[in-house]
Amino acid sequence: MTTKPPKGHFNILYFASAGSYTSKNVEALPAPLPLRKLFATLEERYQGFRASVLDHSLVTINLTYVDVPGEDAAEEAEEIVIQEGDEVAIIPPVSSG
Amino acid sequence: MGQDTGNHNGANGASVAENSAQDGLARRLTEEEFDRYSRQMIVPGMGKQGQLRLINSRVLIIGAGGLGCPAAQYIAGAGVGTIGIVDGDVVEMSNLHRQVGHATSRIGMKKVDSLISHLRGLNPLPTYIAHPFHLTPQNAADIISQYDLVMDCTDNPATRYLISDVCVLLCRPLVSAASVQKSGQLIVLNCPPTPQGLVDGKYAPCYRCCFRKPPPPSSMVSCGEAGIMGPVVGMMGVAQAGEAIKILASALHIPSQNTENGPERNLQQPTLLIYTYDLDSAVGPYSFRALKMGGRKKNCFACGENSTLTLEGIKAGNPNYEQFCSIPTASCNLPPEERITAAAYHAAKEKGELPEHILLDTREKEHFSFGSIDGAVNLPFGKFLMKAAAVKRGGGSARDILPPEVVDTDAPIFVVCRRGLDSQETVAKLKELGLDKGGKRKIMDIAGGMKAWKEEVDPSFPFI
Repeated sequence: MTTKPPKGHFNILYFASAGSYTSKNVEALPAPLPLRKLFATLEERYQGFRASVLDHSLVTINLTYVDVPGEDAAEEAEEIVIQEGDEVAIIPPVSSG
Repeated sequence: MGQDTGNHNGANGASVAENSAQDGLARRLTEEEFDRYSRQMIVPGMGKQGQLRLINSRVLIIGAGGLGCPAAQYIAGAGVGTIGIVDGDVVEMSNLHRQVGHATSRIGMKKVDSLISHLRGLNPLPTYIAHPFHLTPQNAADIISQYDLVMDCTDNPATRYLISDVCVLLCRPLVSAASVQKSGQLIVLNCPPTPQGLVDGKYAPCYRCCFRKPPPPSSMVSCGEAGIMGPVVGMMGVAQAGEAIKILASALHIPSQNTENGPERNLQQPTLLIYTYDLDSAVGPYSFRALKMGGRKKNCFACGENSTLTLEGIKAGNPNYEQFCSIPTASCNLPPEERITAAAYHAAKEKGELPEHILLDTREKEHFSFGSIDGAVNLPFGKFLMKAAAVKRGGGSARDILPPEVVDTDAPIFVVCRRGLDSQETVAKLKELGLDKGGKRKIMDIAGGMKAWKEEVDPSFPFI
């Protein structure tokens, strides 16, 4: 489903309603990117994405769950930074069945 | 704890199950059991003990639909001793492409009765219990407390949060799956069950630890609205049964008496399975992703250390699940002068009273393909919104995203969608893009969408 991101980029996967909102399953974004800036970066590309999808979605980096800190979180030494070649996923809850 | 059924050490279902499991584990299998379950009993790790644990287990399947049907088939086939099914709906024709436990001959029957009759044919040995109504905050604890493990096969966020909360309070493991359109999710929650409030250590998450708040209703689509592929939801239901069988056969569902290190010892890496099935690229691969999830969250509303959630509270309406899951969104309401009913639009058109105009139909192209009002131009809503946002952000003009006949004339525009919401938003966006030429050009919404068209104008219209 995904090819390696180009140099200096990471892949971001959009599942379920995130995919419908962006009309994409995957795209490459410039790396490195501090995790706390991820939602703002995406909101800039897809207006309204945050309120409709991101705020209630869970996020993984390289198949592992991460807590997304608030944007106003202080810069910390241990801040998570999305690196070149990483695979990030936006996973909204699905309810139907 | 002040809960009549919530104490994990008390005389509740869990410890009853544990005791009976102990008794039942010593008996011989009957000849029929031996024959019926032989192929799964010889699988390494299962054995006679695993089988007897299944026979002594009680599983509650909430929802007898696209997930519940395949899940129930394997739960029944495997020989789980008591199987309860909760659902208040009746079987409809449009269910049958995916809800494989029902039948054409049982359309109109209660889903629980239909599914149980199918399961009895498969395996008459289990005890089947019908709960022919929907799960509510009032009945949830009474029902769930009668079972060892819960399978969430429901179709709405409010019930998902309710089930998870009650499972936390009653110390029941929860196998939760969901599916819509072309993707599915599966996660095992609260397993091994750990009493509410214990956070010192690594414990399994609940639904709220994973999905803290529900999506806005506008972005939440049901299978009835967004569609669902049978094999996708079927796959998730089957995987759900697999997890439940594994938990029961290895006795992970029994809360440890020794809460100091019991649950932690048995904790498997909590994993969210995501299945994606891409219809658009027929040659593209399907994909499974197993995502490593975090454990119980310290500040979780339901299971965290300062949680105030109680069974009594839930029964009394606190929290309010419906409200929690229906946060009002910025849905727009156009003034009456910008709306016309489907009947009025049709009448005016028939009488030749409508000037030359443009009719935009904002349904997805799959819906549009079944039929549309004469002369309608398809402008799928999702793509339009995105493009409109791009124009607003980066400049460019309406010309880049709309057909030329829409931009280059002053003819009035009418907008119709499926049920009358997207069309209102489209009218607002078109005005934002300047297409109303400062109010000179009329842009109108056809109220109630194609649903209203079918009801008011053309009963034979193929509306999905």
